[in-house]
Amino acid sequence: MDSAPTKRRKLDHTQDGAELALESAASTGVSRFRAFILQAEELLNSVRLDHGTALEGADGLLHRIKGVIEGIKAHDAIPLVQAASKLEKKHKIKVPFPDPRPQENSNYKVAFAKPAQFNVVGSYVSKTMVKTQKDHAVDMVIVLPEEILQEKDYLDLRYFYKRAYYLAVVAAAVRKEFESGARLSYEHLNGNPLCPVLVIQPNASEAKGSEKSENKGALDFRIRILPCAPDGFFPKAKLHLGANLLRKSRDDDSNLFSEPTSFYNSTIVAESCYLPYLKLLRQAEKRCAAFKNTCILGRIWLQQRGFGGDISQGGFGHFEWAVLLALLLQGGESKGHAALPSSLSSTQLFKALVQFLSVTNFAEKPCVFGQGNPDLESNIETTPILYDSARQLNLAFKMGPWSAALLHRHAKWTRSLLADSTADQFSPTFILKTDVSLHSFDLITRLNIDGALEETGADPRGPTWQASSKVYQTLKRALVDKEMGERARLVHIRTPAHQPWPLAAEPKARGELPLEVGILFDPVNMARTVDRGPSAGPSAEEKEECEEFRKFWGEKSELRRFERDTIRETLIWASATPFDLCEEIIRYVLGRHLRIGQLHNEITVYGDGLPDLLSLKPADSALFNVAKKAFGVFERDIRDLEDLPLRVRQIAPICPELRQASVKPPTFGSSKSGPRPLECVISFEASGKWPESLAAIQRTKIAFLLMIGSLLENSKPGEIKTHVGLEDAKYETENLAFLDVIYESGPSFRLRIHSDLEETLLERQVKDKTAEQYLRQRATTLLATFRRQYTNLPLHNQCISTCATRFPALSPTIRLVKHWFNAHKLSYHFTEEFIELAALHVFLTPYPWDAPTSASAGFMRTLLFLSHWDWRSEPLVLDTSAEMPAADRTSIATRLEAWRKIDPNMNHTVLFVATAQEPSGVAWTTVDGQAKPSKVVAARMTSLAKSASRLVREQGVELDCRRLFVPSLKEYDVLIHLSSKALKGTLKTYSTIDPEEDGDVSRPKFKNLDERTGQQPLPLAQHPAELFLEQLSAAYGGPLVFFRGGVEDNTIGAIWNPQMQKRTFRVNLPTSYKPAGGKKRAKGGEDEDEDGEKAELVDANKDAILSEIARIGADLVERIEVKGA
Amino acid sequence: MASGPATIGDFSILPVSIAPLPSFPKNVVHYLYVRRNAPKIPTATDARSLFLTNVPVDSTEAHLRALFTSLVGAGRFESATFEDERKDAHSLAQSPIDAAQPAHAARLLQAHGKKRKREDEEAQRAQEEAAARLPSTWTRPLRRSGSTAVVLLADEKSVAQVFKAIAKVHRKKKYPTWGGDDLPEGRVPPLGSIWLKTHNRLSYADKEELQASVDAFSALFARREQEAAEIAKRLRNEPDEDGFVTVTRGGRAAPASRNEAEEAKRKMLERAEKKKEELTNFYRFQLRERKKEEQAELLKKFDDDRKKLEAMRVKRGKFVPET
Repeated sequence: MDSAPTKRRKLDHTQDGAELALESAASTGVSRFRAFILQAEELLNSVRLDHGTALEGADGLLHRIKGVIEGIKAHDAIPLVQAASKLEKKHKIKVPFPDPRPQENSNYKVAFAKPAQFNVVGSYVSKTMVKTQKDHAVDMVIVLPEEILQEKDYLDLRYFYKRAYYLAVVAAAVRKEFESGARLSYEHLNGNPLCPVLVIQPNASEAKGSEKSENKGALDFRIRILPCAPDGFFPKAKLHLGANLLRKSRDDDSNLFSEPTSFYNSTIVAESCYLPYLKLLRQAEKRCAAFKNTCILGRIWLQQRGFGGDISQGGFGHFEWAVLLALLLQGGESKGHAALPSSLSSTQLFKALVQFLSVTNFAEKPCVFGQGNPDLESNIETTPILYDSARQLNLAFKMGPWSAALLHRHAKWTRSLLADSTADQFSPTFILKTDVSLHSFDLITRLNIDGALEETGADPRGPTWQASSKVYQTLKRALVDKEMGERARLVHIRTPAHQPWPLAAEPKARGELPLEVGILFDPVNMARTVDRGPSAGPSAEEKEECEEFRKFWGEKSELRRFERDTIRETLIWASATPFDLCEEIIRYVLGRHLRIGQLHNEITVYGDGLPDLLSLKPADSALFNVAKKAFGVFERDIRDLEDLPLRVRQIAPICPELRQASVKPPTFGSSKSGPRPLECVISFEASGKWPESLAAIQRTKIAFLLMIGSLLENSKPGEIKTHVGLEDAKYETENLAFLDVIYESGPSFRLRIHSDLEETLLERQVKDKTAEQYLRQRATTLLATFRRQYTNLPLHNQCISTCATRFPALSPTIRLVKHWFNAHKLSYHFTEEFIELAALHVFLTPYPWDAPTSASAGFMRTLLFLSHWDWRSEPLVLDTSAEMPAADRTSIATRLEAWRKIDPNMNHTVLFVATAQEPSGVAWTTVDGQAKPSKVVAARMTSLAKSASRLVREQGVELDCRRLFVPSLKEYDVLIHLSSKALKGTLKTYSTIDPEEDGDVSRPKFKNLDERTGQQPLPLAQHPAELFLEQLSAAYGGPLVFFRGGVEDNTIGAIWNPQMQKRTFRVNLPTSYKPAGGKKRAKGGEDEDEDGEKAELVDANKDAILSEIARIGADLVERIEVKGA
Repeated sequence: MASGPATIGDFSILPVSIAPLPSFPKNVVHYLYVRRNAPKIPTATDARSLFLTNVPVDSTEAHLRALFTSLVGAGRFESATFEDERKDAHSLAQSPIDAAQPAHAARLLQAHGKKRKREDEEAQRAQEEAAARLPSTWTRPLRRSGSTAVVLLADEKSVAQVFKAIAKVHRKKKYPTWGGDDLPEGRVPPLGSIWLKTHNRLSYADKEELQASVDAFSALFARREQEAAEIAKRLRNEPDEDGFVTVTRGGRAAPASRNEAEEAKRKMLERAEKKKEELTNFYRFQLRERKKEEQAELLKKFDDDRKKLEAMRVKRGKFVPET
């Protein structure tokens, strides 16, 4: 009975603020996307312009201009050419006629009358400009009065001649009014050569009027005057995409008569659609609250991808985005109801539109909005189609098929990013700039086409455009299309942009800048050297296809017989790498179909500088495979040993050479140095025989190694030689020894034994609360080393090898990145595994792109990632199998936070790199309890990556890749130059010769008397230069930080630790000190440790330290260079 | 450089001049700081030993011998012990014999310390230790920069003489040279490439030698283990002087191995876990509580996001698209 009231009370109780917050939290979806919404809001706040202050004075200026234009005296029709020359004589203003100019004898007449209407359009009225826009323009349209136009003016550029004249008259009047108050110039609207517009750039004082306000938010804005046609004046039915409206072509070629002039037609339609679209957008704004914000998001998204309304920027800008959105909100489907509900939020609308773009490939299939079903299929060859039936305009008329394809790709990439709830969705979508060619494309080529193209056709966009379409069609056919085996995923062309020009001049001729063609590979298909075409056997079913094929490929196509007696048209390419193959094909097809490439320097290819630099060869992967096979043999040899007391469970490789990740591919049997064995670990089945003491386990391992060694030698006498080597161990509880197995045929391996009891004992020591602190500390370090060596490294090896197969570009990318770390002397401070994972990250989380498909793109993007990575607060999480539960990710993030809380100065943990197999996050960035790299070095890595990325962005494709690898030595305080000759001498040692005596005795004159002839040198326990540096670091851990690159780097850089300045004297100083003279005498006291003791200062004795280094190095050190000395 | 002070704290400063080298052609002075040795735990030889700090990285006993010979003449210097070597002596794990002891045995011995140190035992111990030690791979270890050493002189008089000599050095401004001509030829292994090469050679020790060392160790270890087992067994039945019997692990036959104990504990935990699992989501209040927890979690996440955003806002430039 009384249970009901209590329940109600309970309900009342929970209806408080928390409940509401929960509701809002639940309504916004999963956590990551929630973050995305919050971030997008923040973005909107930070980029939104305060239109009042930023564009202060624009309104007044517009009114003034309007007044001027209204005051222009009308005049009656006079012949066009005459009027133009009059204008030029009187005002020194040229009429910006489109090409071809009206002929001297043309009898067109022009008149002038007051514009029918003024209107301000574009993002100024809708207030959707953002701060980061390149320039801020206020667009004012003036509608040409109907009385000066004729209906037939849509033909043969007549409207555009009149429009140009009208504009020139307006320009003359405006210039008179403003005098020096503003700079005036012509510009092509959106790069469309048919539509010149007047640009008024007010001088600062003019814009703000007399009041000199200290207005920080004010921007340099421009006003553009856009003449346009009255709405509905031209019969739209005649302006459909298939019509030919340029009938009087310049050379009255009759065969051009029937070719549709879709771009021209759409331009005329667009000219009369300013006001209808203005209306459409206003309506959408009213209906949907989030419309404006979505437009701003869209603008940023497009802008970061290099898209804009300008033809050279792809012809898809903010206007197209807004109209598309408005159409979808209004009634996108042909059935008439809206595709998107207007109640959605801005981020939801943004996602929806991206989704729409990612599924609508309007370069291949026309996309129609609204009622009516016009037949557009036939026009898809000439232009991408986004057709708005209400206004009968093809919205995509300024786009080339390539920009439509690129937009489609970008939308796809962004969609997959927005679907990936684990990645950071925000910054790849809106913050990163992704229009750098070297980041986006694998091969970039520049075509100098002026020489190769004679003027053909009548496209108003000019010969450059025509050339680009032809190049695009040819390359698409050769590389992207399915019939040709989809070698490339994308071909993109960047056409040169148009510049404004002064009133008194002709527009600059275009085509001065070369075309830039970017190609995105499919790494697997691009590596193919033989292309199989249609089958051409005796049955010859595909006769037509064969014909086609032969026509396209010419003499390159030949008949070949394949398995199962099929005879096919075949292409055989000579190159070996994907890059070279692509270049070969491009050169061939362009030369064949367009006659480009016959002059030298017509085709320049970029993007291959990096692999060349490192001489990455396709043969390298064969060498890696040889090493892998050799390892297989080694593994079998061990497994075949019968007398081992325990059964072998696993032999796992743990070195970069066996996971295709070493800078140099493994080579065996070099005569210059002793063998450098490849490292492996062996583990046995669980056994209770291991002694229950760490030291005893280590000794048992030695016995085991000795036994394996002798068994191996006996099993294959003469083929295998083994050596047991001692580690440079500090403690008895560490691993003490390893076994080097050297095959007579070249390969050599280093074996260490894994004992599971060792781990248990170490764990026990770590947990043992009764043990002394230093012992537990030591056990912790040993345990970390143990786990890295025997658990993490084998898994890592496996993971990288698998990924290298999955991503063909991964292995060369890793090698390039390692080379970069080497070149900048950073490698001494980084584990190789960390570098590999950083490169792998770019493949696993490639947003805003897809996974890199070539080494150079992978390398550039890795640098980009390193430059952006905020390792202070973000962990690097890699999820190779894409199965990491969200809880793991959060716990990784929490762990990093905890580390930062314990150790805010980052003395112990700096970089945090976690994988599914290794969630602790420090296995690859902490070695022997020390952060590797330290904070200083990590910061240096970031700053180097930043400057490299800046260089890539600034230099573009012209970048000389060598510059990325030039170390700057002047930042080091000390440079220790090692003698390469002495180093070379240390690479070979023999078991029978004592090096101490070796130096004195001169070698016998005859080679056959020399006892080292025929004797195998001992393997290298460690590379001598590395060993030397390690000894130095151990001795000078306090005062000096050393920097060194790879194995071949003979210059060690060093920096004095700034913390080692003057300090008070005490026993056990961190380095060599000299008395600094200064005395701080306080109250005399006996005890040194007390406050107010007599403190005497000492200073680091730098010279003495350097002289010690010279003594240690002896003949190894050629020269010690001190900065400023 | 002009001569500095002669003392610092309770140390005398001993400047040592270092000859220029082709790779670093500069006359350099290194400063050693010397005082009478006064360790916290006094030893018999304290009176005739000196405590040095800031010894050069490449110091060897021969170097110090040469240095003291040049100060106070030959025959005064007995031996030198460096910082890292002294640590060895104290470190438990470093001596293979002690390391060889099974961990619990060591503890038992410590707790019921049988005074087993007799003279002859000590000698035998040293011998065994030497046999079980692995061969060293360095001909000449480097000292950490700024580390210390203890020098043992012939008698107390020599110590006073050393200080006198140091004062004289300061007066006359004629600094002794480091590793100069006084260094006996061939007594000090060379550094540089030969040093590294020798290290590589020594790293690959002779197999027989290694085997012998390992065998010696195993024998030792087996004996220790047995001893430990015996002690443990004996202790189980023996009351100590207060009449208490120590409780030790294991049944009547032998002390239990640690592994077994852990296995048993794991099993027990597993059972408890299973029992607990059976009872979750059994009662209604549990369900309700879980739901509440989930809600709280969601709220917390929401809050976290907001906080993160706040943090991002603080960092400039996070929300501005790159140009």
